[in-house]
Amino acid sequence: MSHAGLVQCLPKLSKRSLLGASLLAMLCAALPSQPAHAQGPRNFATLAMVAEPQTLDPMASTADLVGTIMQHVYETLYTFDAKWNVVPMLAESSPRISADGKTYAITLRKGVMLHNGRELNADDVVASLQRWMDQSPRGKAVGKEIESLKAKGPLGVEIVLKAPYAPLLSQLALPSGMAAIMAKDSIASPLKEFVGTGPYKFKERRPDQFVLLTRFDKYTARKEPASGYGGKREAAIEELRFVPVPNASTRVEGALAGQYDFADLLPVEALPRLETSGGKTVPIMTPSFGFPYLVLNTKEGVASSQAVRQAVQSALGEGEMLAAGFGDTRFFVAEGNHFPKGSPFYSTAGTTLYNERNAAKAKEAATKAGYKGEPIRVLTSRQYDFHYNMSLLMAEQLKRAGFKVDLNVVDWATLVQRRNDPKLWDIYVTHSGQFPEPMLSPPQLGDGAPGWWDTPAKKAALQAFNVESDPAKRGALWGKVQQVVYEEVPYINVGKFNGLSAKSPALDNYQPATWPFFWNARIK
Amino acid sequence: MFRYLASRAAGMLVVLAIVAVLVFVLTRAASGDPVSVLLGDQATAADIARVQKEYGLDKPLPVQFGYWLREVLQGNLGTSIFLQRPVTQALWERAEPTTLLALMAVAIAALIGVPCGIVSAVFRGRVVDQLFTGIAMLGASIPSFWLGIVLIQVFAVSFGWFPVSGYGAPDAPLAERLHALVLPATVLGLLNSALIIRFTRASMLDVLGEDYVRTARSKGLSESTVVLKHALRNALVPIVTVIGLTVALMIGGAVITETVFGLPGVGNLVVSAVLRRDYPVIQGALLVIAAIYVLINFSIDLLYAVVDPRVKV
Repeated sequence: MSHAGLVQCLPKLSKRSLLGASLLAMLCAALPSQPAHAQGPRNFATLAMVAEPQTLDPMASTADLVGTIMQHVYETLYTFDAKWNVVPMLAESSPRISADGKTYAITLRKGVMLHNGRELNADDVVASLQRWMDQSPRGKAVGKEIESLKAKGPLGVEIVLKAPYAPLLSQLALPSGMAAIMAKDSIASPLKEFVGTGPYKFKERRPDQFVLLTRFDKYTARKEPASGYGGKREAAIEELRFVPVPNASTRVEGALAGQYDFADLLPVEALPRLETSGGKTVPIMTPSFGFPYLVLNTKEGVASSQAVRQAVQSALGEGEMLAAGFGDTRFFVAEGNHFPKGSPFYSTAGTTLYNERNAAKAKEAATKAGYKGEPIRVLTSRQYDFHYNMSLLMAEQLKRAGFKVDLNVVDWATLVQRRNDPKLWDIYVTHSGQFPEPMLSPPQLGDGAPGWWDTPAKKAALQAFNVESDPAKRGALWGKVQQVVYEEVPYINVGKFNGLSAKSPALDNYQPATWPFFWNARIK
Repeated sequence: MFRYLASRAAGMLVVLAIVAVLVFVLTRAASGDPVSVLLGDQATAADIARVQKEYGLDKPLPVQFGYWLREVLQGNLGTSIFLQRPVTQALWERAEPTTLLALMAVAIAALIGVPCGIVSAVFRGRVVDQLFTGIAMLGASIPSFWLGIVLIQVFAVSFGWFPVSGYGAPDAPLAERLHALVLPATVLGLLNSALIIRFTRASMLDVLGEDYVRTARSKGLSESTVVLKHALRNALVPIVTVIGLTVALMIGGAVITETVFGLPGVGNLVVSAVLRRDYPVIQGALLVIAAIYVLINFSIDLLYAVVDPRVKV
């Protein structure tokens, strides 16, 4: 064949073979799948999470997702049982607290193994807590309360406070922004390896694909029966696969198709489909999962007047707002108590001011307060549909009471930036998980958070609440704080919402939790 | 030849320089702050200021741009604020699913688009033509997230033929990964085939009216030889162009499809980076995508010479 002929043939050949090859590839690809677990009894669980974790360093972020994953790898000195009581985890028992409430003597459990095969000791704990107080936003706040932190012998840790600070143990127990105990020699910034004491150890992370955790064979469990996050933990499933599935509809479909053993945070509209899936998936409702709240700018602008804030509170019908946000009544509870019934902090103080929806009263109060039709700038986002839907309804309620409303709908990254500038907003819309200890959320109870609430009444109420370490007395003292919140209106707790997730029928013994955990769960 | 290549390369550099400036200005013109997102609700103003300083975000914009440009010229796209790894590495890790998805989708689009376009042209004005044209219009108008969810419901949930989302199990072989790409590639392929149908049809109609086609017919050649050998070959130039541009579009533009199907690709990376204002990733990814786009355009120009000997390079 001549050279020219060969060249002429080339495109023909390659085109044909290309066509053939792509057809073949498509045929291969179209063959029904052979799921990996068809090859024998599987011992892994696929867990569809809402996003890719921004970091695996549990101290570097307060994001719930980071805590949810890493609580399997790292443990804390204390944790919460099913009734939100603080119970020991790595600590042997409750701390010995000195009579003045300032010195906490903590003894560690003996023989707890780290993932690097060494036994955990007090030096690891001191180094970890030090890192937590240096780096984690929550830890830094706690660090300000602490005078000294020392190891006392191989298993003793002593924390001395500047003044009695009752939330200490809850702070040490929380899975988000975790006071994680790490092997001292693994501590670095950023973390290069993840050496903890948990029932699972870190295996591999491929960003946007998965985080793999695998069973830690030498895990030293507690003897008490499991309750909430506390008690005996056992890694019954060999491998946990956390996969990011950011699209909520896709998480729903994946759950319906049986692709995931667990699908986190599903849209409430999906419930009817999950319920009628014919046993392919099981919906899970987590009651009192969180609360939406509105922060008011007490520093600058129209809401800096307490009387105007009170008028705004009177205008709002939180029940309607929740209905707009969550639709199905099974998903929310309109109640003014900031903590659910059964919690030690349940109180009805001030709740007559909740859900008033009284336009006439609000209008009168606003006029009396000298409100002259300045626009109330509401900062909200569509990151979460319920934020936006609640904001629309709130705007209408405010308008009915004679307020002028300027709804600023921005994306989340813009909202978290703008809220730091008191000149830019009057109200912003957000939400928080329902935590077991009031001081953990919302941040407006602390100092310097957006809203800049700082009054003598706040200081007095919180001071009394924070120095009391007797849990029984703290309940009543929280009522006083709640009362002040209703009177000064630095933020408005809209109510409570339930979380929806789904699990496969194969996932057995899963206990619903704010930060879902999979120790003690099994694959049937 | 050399002069042609050199002038094209110079043009490419100018385009990339303009892209670099635009990308930087646009990402910074959008409000929002990566550090506030990174540190979360509990962070104090002092924390935010400290971390902003760490990443050089406290410096004036022209200075930041200067730093970035210097790094880019040395082949360094910077480090992601959230992923704590170099942007080049993050892009490289996500290149496989995106590339495979783009190739598979283009194969599907071409396999649908070219034959349908030819048939439409040959039977111009008849029912088949109107049917295909209608389908093409429909394909171009359906939003990809909707089509994605519908395909998931039918083929993944009801029939269980394909996984709903993801890129196969952690230890999955290539076949399983390709299998996971079938549905997203079908979505992209169907939507993009519309353009290819239209271009093929138009290009074929031009050619079918030419004298040499009439000559071929009058020679007594079979209709299939006339259409496929004489007409199609001459109609290929615009078709190849549009197929090439489709590949380029998909490498940067499969954003929605990748999100719906939870694919760990470049589109997904860009979306999450935009949502949390991860400036280095946005800038780096857009620059690389622009470079790929420009390169593909360049390759298409070279390909003309291969498919059409009349084009002199």
